[in-house]
Parts: sequence; C-alpha cells; structure tokens
Amino acid sequence: MVDVLQVEEVEIITKKGEQFKGILLPSPDPKIITIKLKSGYNINIDKKYATNIKKLGKITIPRQKREFTQDPSLPKIAILHTGGTVAAEVDYATGAVTTRFTPDELIGKFPELSSLVNIDSRLMSNMWSGDMRFAHYNKMAKEIELEIKKGVEGIIITHGTDTMHYTAAALSFMLQDLPIPIILVGSQRSSDRGSTDAFLNLVSAALFIVKTDFAGVALCMHENANDDDCIILPSLKSKKLHASRRDAFKAVNAKPIARVNYAENLVQMLVQDHKRRDRNAQLKLLMMDPLIKVGIVRAHPNLFAVELAAYKSFDGLIIEGTGLGHMSVSKIDDVTVENEKILLEVTKLAKKMPVVMTSQTVFGRVNMNIYSYGRKLQAAGVIGNYNDMTTETAFIKLAFLLSQKKSLEEIRVLMGENMHGELSKRILP
Amino acid sequence: MNNIGFKAGVEIHQQVDGHKLFCSCPCLVNDDNIPDVFVNRKLRVVSGETGRVDQAAAFEMQRDRKFVYQACSSSSCLVELDEEPPHAVNKHALEAALQVCLLLKCKIVRHVQFMRKTVVDGSNVSGFQRTALVGYDGVLQTSKGLVKIDSVCLEEESAKKVEDRGHEVIYRLDRLGVPLIEVATDASLQDGVHVQEVAGLIGMILRSTDKMRRGLGTIRQDINVSIHGHPRVELKGFQDLRSIPKTVEVEVKRQQESVKAGHIAGEVRKVNPDFSSTFLRPMPGADRMYPETDIPLVHLSDELLKSIVVPELLTEKALKLEKKFKLSPELAREVLDIPEFEKMTLTFNNIHPSIIVRTLAELPKELNTRFGIEPTTLKTSDFETIFKALNEKKIVQSAVIDIAYKLAKKEDFNFLDYEVMSDEDLERVVKEIVAQHKGAPFGALMGEVMRTLKGKGDGKKVADLVKKFS
Repeated sequence: MVDVLQVEEVEIITKKGEQFKGILLPSPDPKIITIKLKSGYNINIDKKYATNIKKLGKITIPRQKREFTQDPSLPKIAILHTGGTVAAEVDYATGAVTTRFTPDELIGKFPELSSLVNIDSRLMSNMWSGDMRFAHYNKMAKEIELEIKKGVEGIIITHGTDTMHYTAAALSFMLQDLPIPIILVGSQRSSDRGSTDAFLNLVSAALFIVKTDFAGVALCMHENANDDDCIILPSLKSKKLHASRRDAFKAVNAKPIARVNYAENLVQMLVQDHKRRDRNAQLKLLMMDPLIKVGIVRAHPNLFAVELAAYKSFDGLIIEGTGLGHMSVSKIDDVTVENEKILLEVTKLAKKMPVVMTSQTVFGRVNMNIYSYGRKLQAAGVIGNYNDMTTETAFIKLAFLLSQKKSLEEIRVLMGENMHGELSKRILP
Repeated sequence: MNNIGFKAGVEIHQQVDGHKLFCSCPCLVNDDNIPDVFVNRKLRVVSGETGRVDQAAAFEMQRDRKFVYQACSSSSCLVELDEEPPHAVNKHALEAALQVCLLLKCKIVRHVQFMRKTVVDGSNVSGFQRTALVGYDGVLQTSKGLVKIDSVCLEEESAKKVEDRGHEVIYRLDRLGVPLIEVATDASLQDGVHVQEVAGLIGMILRSTDKMRRGLGTIRQDINVSIHGHPRVELKGFQDLRSIPKTVEVEVKRQQESVKAGHIAGEVRKVNPDFSSTFLRPMPGADRMYPETDIPLVHLSDELLKSIVVPELLTEKALKLEKKFKLSPELAREVLDIPEFEKMTLTFNNIHPSIIVRTLAELPKELNTRFGIEPTTLKTSDFETIFKALNEKKIVQSAVIDIAYKLAKKEDFNFLDYEVMSDEDLERVVKEIVAQHKGAPFGALMGEVMRTLKGKGDGKKVADLVKKFS
C-alpha cells in the first residue's frame, strides 16, 4: 500500500524583488510564511513583505507504507496511546501533530515489536500529560477493562512523562484485582529523532510482559543514559526526578521491579514478592470522582496563613513539609507571629478535611514525633505520620479515598495502611 | 574544462571560538583531560518532514551499530549527551555568521530557523545536526570573475571519531556542538585552480572576523565536482589547499571512467594523500532536513543588523601594515597573527618594525628547531625584555638567540656579558682570529669570530672586518 502526501509548491516574490520557490509549510508564526527550499532549509518570510504568492500546484509525494502480517501464536498485547512523544509524528503537509497508532503504523515504526508480540493498538486520547484529569483516568480504566475482557496478556499505555507517575498511581488504586501487567511507557526524546528512547522503552516493556509473570501497574523507562537497560518501576513508588534525562524516573523508598535488556533478550527480576498473573482474578473498577478537589501546598520560609486558607473549600489537602514533615507553626520571636496564624489555619482545615503530610525531601519517611513542629502539626490534626509516599502518590491516594466516599475517620486509618504497595514498611539502607 | 560540463563548488566549514552553539561548554576541541563520562547509544532512522526516509540515513540504519560516546565534563554537558534540550543560540557565533554574510555581501534571513539535518553515523548524539540558513545570494570577487555565494549557514560541529570497530564506533564529544560557519558557493567554479583560489579567499574572509578558532582542523573544505552525465560528488578531507587542483583533476578522470563504465553514483568521497579518493557514503538529500522544534525562530531586528560591524579584510589589513611599517608582504601577513605588534613598535621605536615582527614570529620557531624548546615558552614579557635591550642598544641582534634561550630555560644571565664591544676591541679580536687561521675561507672565519664574540658584535661590522683583515 502506498500512501500519498500532497504538498503545495509556491513562489513568493518580496517587496525587494527577491524570489523564493519551495514547498509551503505550516508556519510557526501567523505573521510569517514558511517554505521549504530545495536545499532542505526552511525560509521564513514576513507576510507583509510578500507582495506576490503564486501557487505553482500540488506535488504528490508517495509515502512508503508497509503492511505487516502479525504472528497470531505470539502473546497478544494491547497498546493504548494517550499521547506524549512515544508515537508522535509531525505531519508537515497539514501542520498537525499526528500519532502513529494503528498496529501497522506502529510496527512500521518499530518493526522489532512484531517478533515479540501480536499487537492490538489504538489511540485513546492524544494529549500532553500535563492536561490529564481524573476523568481521563476513568476513561483509561474502562478501556483497560475492555482489553482485559478481550483476553490480552498485557497492556502497554504510552504516556507523556510529566504526569505519568500520577496516572500509574491512580490506575493502581482504581484497578482492583488486576489479572495482567499494565506498563506505562514514556519517552524523554521524541520518536521523530534518531536518538529517541521511545523504541527501547517500548520493546523493553513488551519483553517484560512476555517474559515474566508480573501482574499490576508499572512504569518502563531507561535505567541510565545508555541505550542498554530499561528499568521497570513500581507504579506507586516512583517519581520523575529529572526534567530531561532519559533516566528521569527513579524508584523512591523502594526497589525497581526488574531490569530489561532488550539486546540480550534478558529480564532480571529485582523483587520476588510481586503480584503474579491470575487469569481467574476478577477485575473490579473503582472510579475517581472528577469533582473531588485535593490541593497540594508546599511548606517554605516566610509562609503566610492565606496560602493554606486558599484550600478551605477543598475536600482534602496534602502538605509537602520540610524535612521529616514540618511547617512553620511556632512563634519564636517578634517576626514569627504569622506562624501562629498558620497553625490556626491548619487546625481549622484538618477539622473539615483530611490534611496529609509528605516530605519535600523526596526520599525518606515522615516522622512528626522528633521535633515540636511535627507534634504541633499532629495535634492540629495533620495525618500521614510514618508514611513514605511521594507527594504525587499521597495526592492520588487521598483523591481516590475521597472518591470512594470514605469518611474522615476512615481516611485517617487508610492513609496509614498499605493498600497496594504505596507504603513501605522498611526502607532498605 | 567546459566541453565536459565541468561543475564545481566549495563548502567551507570554519569553527568559531568561544563557547558551544547551544550550551555554555567551552570550545575545548582536543580537550586533553581524561574522559570521565561514557554513554552507549543506538540511533534509529526517522522520516524527514516529507515522510521519506533519507537515503544516507537508511544506509547507516542497515549497519545497526552501537555508538560509544566518551566525554570530559570540562568540555561537555547534558546538552552534548542529548540529555537536555538546547539552550538559546550563542549570540557571539551568530554575530560572527552575520559578519561573514556582510563581508560576502549576502542577503540576510530575517527569521533564522534552525533545522535538524539527519546524521545517523553517530557523529551527532541526537541523530541530527542543528543548522540554520543565515545568509544567501552573496558574491565573491575572484581572479576569474564573480562567484556566487549560495549560502552562509550557522551549524553545530560533529563529534570526533576515535575508533571504528565495525559493530561499534567510539566518539569523543569535546568537538560536538562547537559553532561552525558554513559558506557554500554555487557550482560555477571553472577548474581546480579556481577552486583552490576560492577556498583560500573564503578562508581569509572567515578569519577576518576575529571570532574564529585558529590552527589545524579548525577549517575544512568540501568540494563538489561533477561532469556531464555524472551526478555531483562531494570530496572531503583536504589536508592542504594546494592539493585541490590535482585532486579535482583525478576526480574528473574518475567520473569520466565511471560514465564510460555506466557505474555512476552521487556520493561523498574521502580524499587520500595521493589525490585519489575513496567512497564514504551515499549523497544525502534534502529529505534529511526537518525543523528543530526545540529552538524558537531567531528574529533579527534592524537594530541588531545595524549594530554588526563589518570587519576589515585581512588582505586589506596586511596591505596597510605593509605600507605603514615598510614590511615585506610576507612579514605583513605574519603581523596579522601578532596582536601586540603595533604596541611594541611604539614602545621600542629605535628598532625597525621588521625586526620586531621577525623576532616575534621566528624566534620561537628557531628555539624549537635548534633546542627543542616549545614555541609557546617565550612570553610577551620575555620579548619585551629583549626588545628593551635592543632598543637601548645594550645588545646587538646577534645576541638575541642566546638571551632568548636563557629566558626560555629560566637561566640567570647578565646583559653586561652581551654588551656591545667597542670598535677597537672588535678589530683586535678579528685580527687575532684571522692570524690564528691563516688561509681559512671567509665563512669559517666568520663562524669562528661570531662564536668567540658570543653576540657582542654586530654581524655586518664583523663581516666587514673579516674581509678587511683576511
């Protein structure tokens, strides 16, 4: 099958009498006309200087498109796209960002997949992960349920990396008794460049699904800067710790689940106590309530009580405290009067809603017994003592519990209990 | 050569000094630190913006090679490792490119757009080279008429290949990302000699900006050659401009034979020391360019363009120096590389400027050939010491090498030991030596006298005396 691409050839004459001939491209700026010259360079001309734009006609460029036969004896997996850079491509004919998501297009891009798995693949949404809302998690959960009913061995979800760990955490709470692995795959270098990490992350996720008995939600990204090993990370204990590196995601207060070396066809399990696949398990969906409002406030020097008061109409609040879980709540001299107001505000909020402490140190466990600040916060009703969750996981867990209409009392108990691996009893040295 | 449809053009690549094009790493090409960062990567072929996979890119893909990158943290950061997006474009390098555009009378692009040129041989960690068209439609005056300058581009240098093990290629990243200005002519150059002239002229123009890196490997020439019935061939890796005419001649013969044999191919070839060339890779096409979406358009305002100073051409500068200081054309060209020259002629106004140039340019070379002393050992202050003594007529020119040696070796010395001998003493010494070596030829006598005098007598005076008494 040969697909075609139609582009418009134009000739532009400027006020100064210069002539440019090339293919008209979508412009990065509405005041500018962009054309691709024969040399391959784009040239940008101010619209106001272009006196004459002559259309020379459409050029048809055949696009190589291959069709693939899949091997039905291979494990069937579903690849659901939510957007992000894993499968993104810019269509320069129209200027639209398109995602190559049909099985043929995906295998065309990553032919190695067809020797590992039998793919069913489709676009669920095409969005920047920063735009995700709880309603999207619900949609995702339903799509997953659909795929599981079809009998897939595993599901790969391609996802923008910025909030991938929030989604992973949400799915972990929402998909009860999950019988199969669901691996979220992101990429830090878009798949339109030769150095993309998308390919290795994707095939490593597929290899992990094929070669292990793991069930549950996990992430798959590069382990380090090398295109050698990918790492499978726990959905509730991982965080994006770098803005741009390929190995941005790290396990926090927990061990990674497995290391995958695609070139060597190797999967090395790093934990043994993982949940195993169970065909008889009956998936149950527990949905998020898109109207639940949970806020996150970060403790910092020179904090004002109004920063907390802003959340008074919310359903729950996460305080990302300093150190062991602290915030300025003591008047120590003339200039710390505000701290008393802060304590008052926290006390008021904690009466109305769950207020959960996490630590902005990222690594380590909250312990509000060590200093008087922590004790005051506990006395004010702040919960979450001894938890070692990331702020992101605590946020999702609280929103999930509120979505399940749990009472303040129940939430106080449940936030301290390990439901799906979000709390580690032991942080290994 | 017109009856064979000879066409040739050049692309000159010149490294810009300062920091890299899209990060703040210094341009430490040949960083001599030991690499402390090692990264393994693979590259995949991606479609260009028209949806086609470039021919050159596909060629590399077949090889499925692993690339090992070695970096020194003194000269590379996350940007070179493709672990961080590019920063804002280096303004100094952009200014250098604009100066080159002005010198070549190019039209200047008002909205500079960086493109990604697909390169999958591993020499760019990202899999592409960032390049932007800055100027076009320039003109160069040559001995064989005007030559059109097609483009002036600002781009990134590639990484340097250290070792090719076939399945695995090792690169060093110190050079990657160094700003590079590319000047390309049209294909109207008339023959190999013309190509050499144009390459030389463009090199001179690039260096006139005062913003370029100097020395071996900082400028490279690619030459495009074709004849009737043969597609364009790009020749790379010239060590010396003087080898261009012969290499072009050999390439034309090769193309004629290829046409006869029917095995024609547009390709990139590497030039060998014997003027022949060997196949490097297929010719890349326009398909390998797509926009660099991580860098916004760089808008060049009228104010910015007006603020760009057109530098004086080195040839003009040399001509002025020639006249002003009564220098030979060769010495005037040497002066261009000596920034402290003019100041020194003012401070030491009893010394002829040509002696100042010769001393600054030749003395380090002489110390090196005679005593193996590194040419950079002598500092400006050492030269000043020597010039001060010459200026005050404490010593004569022939004492300079001896003093320079002592300065370089940090040995103590006393100017009194080199004090100029009175005319009577000089006469006495010459008479004695001539008497000791009766019948010896002039040259031998001169040598003996100068050795005895150890720089205390002026060479010309000594020669006159030797002639007189022998």
